[in-house]
Amino acid sequence: MGVFARTRSSTIALYVVAGLAALIWLIPFLGVFMASIRPLSEVLRGWWRFEQFNPTLRNYAGAWNHPAAPLGQGMYNSLRVAVPATILPLIVASTAAYGFARFRFRFRDLLFMAIVALMTLPQQMIAVPIYRIMRGLGAVDSYVGLVLVHAAWGLPWIMYFMRNYFTTVPVEVEEAAKVDGASDLRVFLQIVVPMSLPAVASAAVLQFMWVWSDFFLALILVYSPDKLLATQRVPLLRGVYHVDWGVLSAGSVIVMMIPIAVFAIMQRYYIRGMVGWTSK
Amino acid sequence: MMRRKVVFLLLTVLAVFSLTGLAAEKKLTVISGWSGPEMDAFMPVLKEFEKETGIRVDYQIYRAEDLAVLLPAQFDSKTAPADVIFMWAWFINKQAQNGHVLEVTGALNESDFVPGVLDAVKSGGKLWGAPYTGKIKPGFWYRKSFFKQHGLAVPNTWEEFVDLCARIKKLPGVRAPIASGNGVGWPLSDVTEHFIATFGGPEMTRDLIAGKVKWTDPAVRAIFENRLAPLLKAGYFSEPIEWTMAADLWWAGDYALFFMGSWITGMVKDPADLGVFALPGARGLVFGTDYAFVPAYTKYPAEARKLLAHLATRGQTLQVAAGGHIATYTGAPLDVYPPVDREVAALLRGREALPDLDDTIGGEWQPAFWDQLKLLWVSPDRVGEVLDTLQRKAGK
Amino acid sequence: MRTLRGRALFFVPALALLAVFVVYPVVNTVWLSFFTSEGQFALLGNYGEVLSQPEMFDPRGFARGFPYGALVHNVMWIVIHLPLTAGLGLVLAVILREIRGGAIVKSIIFLGMVTPMVVGGVILRFLFDGNVGILPSLMSIVGIPRRTLTAYPDTALFSLILGSLWLWTPFSMILYSAGLETIPDYVYEAAVIDGASPMRAFFAITVPMLRPVTGVVITMTFLWVLKIFDIVYVATMGGPGGASNVLALQMYMYAFREFDANSAAVVATLLMLVALAVSIPTFRSVRGEQP
Repeated sequence: MGVFARTRSSTIALYVVAGLAALIWLIPFLGVFMASIRPLSEVLRGWWRFEQFNPTLRNYAGAWNHPAAPLGQGMYNSLRVAVPATILPLIVASTAAYGFARFRFRFRDLLFMAIVALMTLPQQMIAVPIYRIMRGLGAVDSYVGLVLVHAAWGLPWIMYFMRNYFTTVPVEVEEAAKVDGASDLRVFLQIVVPMSLPAVASAAVLQFMWVWSDFFLALILVYSPDKLLATQRVPLLRGVYHVDWGVLSAGSVIVMMIPIAVFAIMQRYYIRGMVGWTSK
Repeated sequence: MMRRKVVFLLLTVLAVFSLTGLAAEKKLTVISGWSGPEMDAFMPVLKEFEKETGIRVDYQIYRAEDLAVLLPAQFDSKTAPADVIFMWAWFINKQAQNGHVLEVTGALNESDFVPGVLDAVKSGGKLWGAPYTGKIKPGFWYRKSFFKQHGLAVPNTWEEFVDLCARIKKLPGVRAPIASGNGVGWPLSDVTEHFIATFGGPEMTRDLIAGKVKWTDPAVRAIFENRLAPLLKAGYFSEPIEWTMAADLWWAGDYALFFMGSWITGMVKDPADLGVFALPGARGLVFGTDYAFVPAYTKYPAEARKLLAHLATRGQTLQVAAGGHIATYTGAPLDVYPPVDREVAALLRGREALPDLDDTIGGEWQPAFWDQLKLLWVSPDRVGEVLDTLQRKAGK
Repeated sequence: MRTLRGRALFFVPALALLAVFVVYPVVNTVWLSFFTSEGQFALLGNYGEVLSQPEMFDPRGFARGFPYGALVHNVMWIVIHLPLTAGLGLVLAVILREIRGGAIVKSIIFLGMVTPMVVGGVILRFLFDGNVGILPSLMSIVGIPRRTLTAYPDTALFSLILGSLWLWTPFSMILYSAGLETIPDYVYEAAVIDGASPMRAFFAITVPMLRPVTGVVITMTFLWVLKIFDIVYVATMGGPGGASNVLALQMYMYAFREFDANSAAVVATLLMLVALAVSIPTFRSVRGEQP
């Protein structure tokens, strides 16, 4: 049912506003895309001018193979971190979440709330101690350390999310299985998990996007030029002496491609993940 | 029978491993901030070393500003990203104090170099790094063709300089007389240092570096307020632009003057069209030397020392031939220089060679200096506050 | 086995990871914040020391303009960003429900959310650059001289806030969209039958019914703005002259540029306290829904 009286003029107004919104969100991307495929001389005169238009893919090659920060390697590195850092917390958190959803014990709610409270903390809270811990473990500049931190950091919100989901799953099926003598673990793995795949998908998508986009933790824990993640290499593309908006834009587009692709394919799960995660 | 087979297998495995061990190539990595045409000019130097010694040398680009953040943490974990790294002298010294630098005393002969140039990387009687070529930051560059086209002349007094700027500003198609190059702030610092050296003299530069004179000193303030700020307020400087973009725009005629170091001769299409003048009355010019060092955590200390020595001697000779560099190695003959660079070297005659102020003070003061100048450039009325902040940070 | 030990195993990995990589560091940071860099116990003295730094709070700003200090900058960011993002999100959600192709426009808008923040920072720099950016060109049409908005102290922070709106409003929009779906039509129809105009029905009924969603939007936005780091780091690095400095960036500067872990801990702890304070209402409702 509409909020606006459906007159001709109001309908037009609505479409105008919607069009404007679409434009506002599209233009920055368009600008970066243009800068990535056009030579710098054209971009300097304004990428929105089309008197001269000589598209080239040179910038993408430049960004992919950049001497200081090759993005090809960076993307590979980011995957090496993002994939384990998604799988690990999903497994660990879902298991714990199931426990919070089904088992009863003293302090259960208090403990759960405490863990959920961790969700609100800024990453800055752990920056220096994590750096020192990793240094002590000799894990600075290694992906193992980074994956573990990302996994730990993802636990609170994934636990909150999955627990909420589990409470919506009817208990009867599980109870039936337990009557038949199945252990908690078997019930969890063979009955509950298969039923929860949509939620797992949502959580996986969100966690992957979050880890892929991370910059701060990578900045602190990864140094070697060879090991830098894609997000870390983007600012380096800018800084090197030969500043070139073209290469920088191409690099940005490349890094953006993965989240956009994931979003395009898994849009439904992504949105359900966000809505389900934060609302009651 | 079985035992013999096992022994044979083990011996084969051992042989294979040892052979691969022998075949494992020694490889040295060099890091510096040069890219694009600067990098192209540097590669022959490395190739020459490869030819002479048969050791492969790889090159990676990293800006000094980024290395300053990266390296301390790496050194803390006893690793290093390369075997020879180019960095500011103050940084090399600081890391040497913490034991992260390989001592290279004896690898270089002090008499082979311009007097005093080794001092910046010497401490405790030991040598920690090697000097490479230097660049002069001589003043404002212009295109001779541009000046001829508009009937402009090189100024000989301060008043003539201000007049020149006013005239240029009125020219159609010119956005501003002087293009303000900006990296993370450093070409702005070069301009500022030039003003300080001209109107405060070399003594003021050295005193500021040593901390003997405060940034809030009235003499220092007068330079900012009465020389630099009025030009900024009159719009004679453009707003800070990324300096390679600024160079392109300046070459295309959007700006007339561009303050830059002498390496620009190696970067433009037509070096013969270049002209340069210092601020009238300048008694000292900044001569910035590049330095390199070997981290203590290199896997090949002997080879790295060799490479360092090569860079400082034969390397310099090769480098200056490419243009844009001035050798600190006295063994490089004058006729190796391209004509433009001989002119530039001549600029130093009769003037004192000064160290680069912010590269020498370094530490956290250096990025603060850059950030404050970025502010000053767009808000020239805030001189007092900027100087206060600079002094506060220097005092830390 | 349905033993106690078997059940406990469900929790062990999670609790172990959390204890080592989250709880311990958090406690450590709070602990650090009470000590000076020389190792003396100062309790709140450290806080006073840090808060009096001009990087954090610069009262001179009230006389001459930016910078005002990271603390004030964050407050400004929240005050401007919060109502705008909630309002815009709601408006967009409402409008895009009612027109054809609304879903496509929603997807386009959602690109803002999907962009890694680092890339967002690059996009902002590009957008606002005096030479290549489109925004200064648009502004020059209205007569404002072209300049790089992120290079000037009086516009740097606002440019970034604008950028952050672009990045985050999709979140608000999606939440409101979902919320609107859950409101049954008959509520409207009843109001209209009673003689109210659709617009009045909206404000009198729908908006209050969306209150839980608004609560979530406000809380999550607040937390997000508090932690903003990436875009500032890439777009301005807090400059010029600290005019766009924010708490998260200042914490990084203390920790990894000045190697002053204690001041960094103070800033981080302050961030944590504010975050907790803002999240308390959310916790109350979490408790309310325990089965």
